[in-house]
Order: sequence, then structure tokens, then C-alpha cells
Amino acid sequence: MGNTLSIAILTQDNGLLSKLKSLIRESMPSVKIIYFDSESDFFSADLKEGPDIILSDQRNLLSGWKSFIEELKDQKVNSFIVFFVDECSGGKIVEMMKEGVYDILTPVTLNRILTVLHRLPVQKEEMDNLRYLAKEKNFGDHIANNSRSMLSIINKDYVYEKVNATFCTAQSINTDAIIGKSLDEIWGRETFELKIKQNIDLCFQGNIVRYEANFDTPFFGNRYFEVVFRPIMTEDGQISHLLAETFDITELKHSQKIVNDMEEEFKRLETNLPIGFLRCDKHGVIIHANRAFLKIMECEDEALIAGLGIQEFYVEKGLFEIHLSQLLYPSVRTFGRVAFYTCIGNEIACRVSAFIVTDKSGQPSFIDFAFEDSSRELMLENRLLQAQKLETIGALAGGLAHDFNNVMATIFGYSELLMEELPATSSLLDSVIKIQSAVTKAKSITDQILTFSRQVDQEKIPVDIVTVLNETIGFVNSGLKENIKINSEIINPNLLINADPTQLFRVFLNLFSNAVQAIGENTGIINVRLFVVSAGEARYDLNKDIVADEYIVVSIEDTGEGMEDSVIDRIFEPYYTTKETGKGTGLGLSVVHGIIAELDGAVLVTSKKNVGSKFNVYLPVSAGPDINAEKIGMGRRLLFITGNRYESRILSLALENSGYKVIYASDLNGFIKLLSSREDQPDLVIYMEDSEQMSHADLINIYTAIKIEIPIILISDRNQLQAAEKLVNLGYVKQRLTKPVSLREIHNAIQLSLT
Amino acid sequence: MSCILLVEDDHDLREMLRTSLIKRKFTVSEASNGKEALLRFKPSMTDLVITDIIMPDEDGLKVIMKIKEIKPAIKIIAISGGGKAGPGNYLDLAKVLGADEIFSKPFSINDLLKKIEIMLGTD
Repeated sequence: MGNTLSIAILTQDNGLLSKLKSLIRESMPSVKIIYFDSESDFFSADLKEGPDIILSDQRNLLSGWKSFIEELKDQKVNSFIVFFVDECSGGKIVEMMKEGVYDILTPVTLNRILTVLHRLPVQKEEMDNLRYLAKEKNFGDHIANNSRSMLSIINKDYVYEKVNATFCTAQSINTDAIIGKSLDEIWGRETFELKIKQNIDLCFQGNIVRYEANFDTPFFGNRYFEVVFRPIMTEDGQISHLLAETFDITELKHSQKIVNDMEEEFKRLETNLPIGFLRCDKHGVIIHANRAFLKIMECEDEALIAGLGIQEFYVEKGLFEIHLSQLLYPSVRTFGRVAFYTCIGNEIACRVSAFIVTDKSGQPSFIDFAFEDSSRELMLENRLLQAQKLETIGALAGGLAHDFNNVMATIFGYSELLMEELPATSSLLDSVIKIQSAVTKAKSITDQILTFSRQVDQEKIPVDIVTVLNETIGFVNSGLKENIKINSEIINPNLLINADPTQLFRVFLNLFSNAVQAIGENTGIINVRLFVVSAGEARYDLNKDIVADEYIVVSIEDTGEGMEDSVIDRIFEPYYTTKETGKGTGLGLSVVHGIIAELDGAVLVTSKKNVGSKFNVYLPVSAGPDINAEKIGMGRRLLFITGNRYESRILSLALENSGYKVIYASDLNGFIKLLSSREDQPDLVIYMEDSEQMSHADLINIYTAIKIEIPIILISDRNQLQAAEKLVNLGYVKQRLTKPVSLREIHNAIQLSLT
Repeated sequence: MSCILLVEDDHDLREMLRTSLIKRKFTVSEASNGKEALLRFKPSMTDLVITDIIMPDEDGLKVIMKIKEIKPAIKIIAISGGGKAGPGNYLDLAKVLGADEIFSKPFSINDLLKKIEIMLGTD
């Protein structure tokens, strides 16, 4: 048959045939394989010298192994025969080998096939050599000696009676040194006791014993062996000896371990891969998904989606079919962002790529998908878009507010001129005051717009944000109805941030007021948390340049009506409101945005319709108070007649931290005493109009009585502007501010009043 | 009588300011932008400058710088309707550049006049 080694396979078992074929092709690629499914086919073929090797599956052949060999001899076929037989005893095997069978595979399992194939000679020269030897000496002995297994015959005293050449070669000693030796001498006492003896005993009880074990022996070193003990029976049915077949499978084990490790490694990689991996059949039915895929798809267990069609997850119907049609090309195909429904019905976006896995004939067998969750990417893109939009609106609104302030200045100026000309008794004075009041209102609107468009510089001082937050909660709580509870979980990180406390108060107040309105008349909870995140976390959350090592996050979460995504996208725009007309200015959140952005912070919003909304305010932690900074207050003494206690505390905090000395009067007498005192006399009086301590009338009376000209700064509510006219007309009120008052405004007012 | 240079690009506001100033017997010269302001500024005559900040053709900040350079003793009041350059308000910047007082629009004309009288010692 020329120089190519040929193997004839004789079997009716198609499964075995295909296994054999692929295994032989893998380990002996140059071998020629011929196949027969019956003995008659085999013998009627023109075999000439016959194939080099015959793998004959004796399990389903009709004639029996003896007649098969007879027939081969008759036809002068001189091949090496390997029999595949069912479990059989050592006696029968010895008999078969005596008749010239080269190797026997029993039982027929994949693992054993590998072992037997491994033992086959693969070179033509090797075959010729074997043939030559076979002619010279007893065929059986040569087969035995040339088998890659170590074969031996052991008697009941655990003594070697016969061994093949392989056995000796492996141990580098000659036959005589083994024959007559007991197993414990060869293998070592311990190994014999632990790993050999009981198996031999079992074999002598009539069993075929097969096992694999690791042997650490003086001769072999540390090796893995596959051992088979087969009983050999005498003619009277007694077991006199056993045939031991020992095959060194260390290399096999080693490569198996490598394969197993690789498989394990691949599995681990596939499981832990941050990319969703999905294998479907060629119609899109899910076969397997990795952990990342399950996470992306919000699925708890792989079993829940196995068997479903991936098309059911597509939001756009028919898109999968389009993808499938584009997949018929055998390369990876990237589909870009695709919308999917998760297992619990949420809509998400994933970048999807896929490719077809084909079988050997090139027919599609699987589709492998890679899914990358692009929700964050999408979210960031959207956020950037919103930020750009706000910036554009800000520029527009800021310019508008600027022009408006010119107009307001003109109107206010003329109204003052008019007032000067009018006699004190004129009935028109009231109208002029109303004009001025309207201008003040307009100014407060343009102020908010300018704050939103970040055209107002905030006076920043180091602030303990916990105090500001607690005062805000106190303020909100004092006005809450029974239906809403505030839960606060505020840790005190003892960190400062640079900000205007009055502006922070305004921010928190706005967020609380939105939360309260979102809950409405229902029962609800507002959860407030304060915690610290690292620069890294902040960078991830905000996706923008980070200006501090740490950020304080104030989180205000309500169980209110929640918002649609389309609303979330717009809430920071000025004049965007979902409230009924008259219920809100539509400027609140835009002002919040402006203030926080000016502090290099950010506000993140998450919301779900009918579940609630969460506003997380991120503020950079200050590196610490600048001890060299000149404090603007310069120790000036301010007598503060407080109004609402929470608002007043915030203002006190702001003033004290700016370097003013803030003093308080316990009652009217204390106030009079302070005003007329020589040493303790304040430079200025700050009067909050809603003070319960002192009414307008009290203040007017005291000032008229003691004739002291200490300037007053009046802080009024926006909706009570006209109430204090008498006080203003008295002439002591140098500056008049309307709530909310920023630190900068009050600074400017103090400076103007004291010059 | 003190002479005031009034720089403001908003015509109506300028007119209102002029009327008020004249009423208080100040001599007023006017400019509607920075470039014009520098032409109208007479070091020997002008005692005080009131200038807006954001204007076409040379803004108020330049006016303040140049005028202070020519006549360091000049009194300057900056007025602005808001706006920011970099990290600070225009008005704060104006103060740094040499403005003696700043007023944020809309302001009370009475406050402004009072301040001018103090600055020029005419109170």
C-alpha cells in the first residue's frame, strides 16, 4: 500500500466510526483510513497485502474473533489487528494475543480509544520492523514486547512471573531483575500497600480492575499510570494469575490538565467578561448567556432565558431578522446601538456585534453575540447635550437680564425723581411706591436669571454644610403637614466646602420644596443623606473635571409622583415648570443649577414615574480655610434682630464666618441698652421684617425715642414690600433687601450703609 | 461746579442719569461707548466718571484703566447690570482696575447721588 500507513476500520457503529476517524486524523494526519461495515465487505475487497492496521469492532461482527483471524490468515493478510471487544477476562485476552491480535480495546470508551490509538505505531518503518520481527520469533511475544503498555503476569503471591520488554525498558533493568521479584520490591512497600495490593486482591476474586493513579516509585519517579488487572483462568476455572497492563499516561494527564485548565480559564473569562456574551442557535434561540449578559438584561438566572428567542428582546420588531440577514457573511458584524427590553421590561441600549459559527461543512450552527451596555454612554451624551443646552439658554437669558437691568435702572431712577418732585401729601406717591416695588420684584427675577446663567459671583466662605443642611431640614419640618416625614441619615464628615451658606440654604430649600410638592397630599417620605465620595467616584458619577480630592454628596430623595425622562431632561431650564400656573416661578431648579455649577459642583437627578425622584448634589470639599484670606467683615458689630430662626441662623453663620461680630438683643430693653451703650454700640442693625421679637412700630418708636442714627438694613419678604414703608420713610433704613438674601448682597448693603 | 463724565450705552438710562445729575447742578458730558469716552475725557476738567462696563467699542474696564493712567486722582463709579468675566464679576474687576465705587443695576439714583456728593466733598 505504498508508503502511507493505512488503517482499516471495521464497525457497524457509526458513532464509533466518526469518533475514530476524527481522532486518527488529529493524531496521525497522514494515515489513510478505509472503512467497512461488515466482514463480507471487508473480505470481498481487494486487500492485496491488506491495510497496515485493522481496527475491528468485534462487538457486532457475526463470525466471532477466531474465525475472523482464520479468514485473515487464509487471505494472507498480514495486518496488525486491534480488537474492540466488550468486557472480557485476562484469559481471553492472552488467548487473543497468542493468536496474533496486536492490541485489545475493552471496554469501548472514548478514553480507552485514545489510549489504544496512542499505542499504535505510526510510522511505516516501525510497521515493517514489527513485521520483520514477527516473522523471526513468536508473534505473540513480539506483539507483547512491542506494545507500548507495560504488560506483566503476576501470581497469587504478588510476584512477577513474566514481563514484556516495555516494562523492562521503562524501568531500565532487564527481565531477570524483575521476574521472581514481588511487587513491593519493584514499586516500594508503601505504594504497593496503598495503591496496588487491594486491586490485585479484587482481581483474584474474579474482577477486571481498572484504575488510574499517581505512583511515586523508586524506578519511575512520579508518574501517572493507567492500570488494568485481568484475571487469567486455568482450564478448571481457577484464577491462577493475572495479566497486568500498565500504561504511562503522565503525558496524557498533563495535556488533559492543560486542556482542562485552559477550558477552566476560558470559562472563567467568559463568565467574568464585562461584555455580555450570548450563544444562540442559527434561528436566534438562546443556548447560553454569560453573567454580564444576565446582568445587562436584568435576569436572575440563565435558565429563565434559555430557549427564548433573542428577537423577543428587541424593542424594534423585525430588526433581528435584518441583523440575521446581514450575518450570513462569515465575519464579525457590528450593529451599533440597539434598543432592548430587559427581563423586567426596562428599555436599555446595547452595542451589539455578532458572528456566525459554522460547522465543518460551512453550514451555520450558532450565532455568537457580544453585548456592551451603552446606557452610561447614552446617559453621558444626553447629559452633555443638556449641559450645552443650559449653557446656551444661560448665555441668552444672561444677556436679556443684563439689558433688562438697564431698563429697570431707568424706571427706578425716574420714579425716584418723580418722588422728589411730588409733595408729601400727593395721592400719586402711592403709585410711585408701587412702581418701585414692581422694579424690586423684577430685579429679583433678573437676579435669579443671572444666578442661573452663572453671571453672579457668589461670596464664598468655608462652610460646615451639615449645619446648613440641618437648619434647612428644621425649616422645612416646621412647615410640614402630617403626611410627609423626613428621614435623615447625615454623617458629619467634619469637612468644609467653599460656598455662600445662604445660597446653599436656597438650594436645599428648593429641592425640599420640590420633594414636598411631588408627594402632594399623599403620604410620603423624604430621605436625606449626606456622605463623602472620593475624587475617583465623583469623576465616574459626574464625568467631568474634578477639582477636589473629595466631594460631599447631599442626596434628597422623595417617594412622590416622579418624572418622565422627557421632564428630567428639562427641569433645570428656566421657566420650565410642570406646576399649575401661579404655583411656581419655574426658576427654582434653574437657580439651583446655577448656584451649584458656580461652586464647581453638580446636581444629578434620577427619577421614576410613580416611584419618586432623587436629587444628588455634589460639592467639592474645600482644601481648608485660607488663613491668609482677609475677612471681609473686619470685625464690624452687627446687631441682628432675627426673624425665622432657621433662616436667621443661616444668615448669622454666613456673617460670622465672614468676619463680622454678630450680636443679639434678648428683648426690647436689651435692644435699647445696646443701641445707647458706648462700648457695645453696634455699627449697624440688621432687621428681619418677620421678627417676632420686634414689630415695625417698636423699631420706629425706639429710633424716634432715643434719636440714634445707627443705619438699618431691612430684610423683607418679597410679598410684603409695601408693609415697611413707614419704616423706610423714617430715613434710618439705608438698604433694603428682599429674601432670599445672598451673602454678597448683604456685604454690599453693609458697605453702602456704613459710608 | 464739578464736572462728571457719564459713559453709558443705554440711551434711556443715560438720559435719566443726566437729568438727575443736572438737577443736582453737576456739569455733565456724555459718551455712549468706551472709545467716545476716551475722547470726551478732559483730565483738567473731569472730576468724576460714571461708566457702564459692557459697551460696544472699548468696554468700561478699558475706560477705567486708561483714565486712571492719565489721571490717577480721578474718581470713578462703575455701574453694571451683571455679567462675569472668568472667575469674577465685572464690577469686582472694575474695582480691582481702579473704580472707587460700584453700583449694580438697577440701583437707587438717590444712593448714587449721595455717594457722588461724598466722593466730591459737595455734601
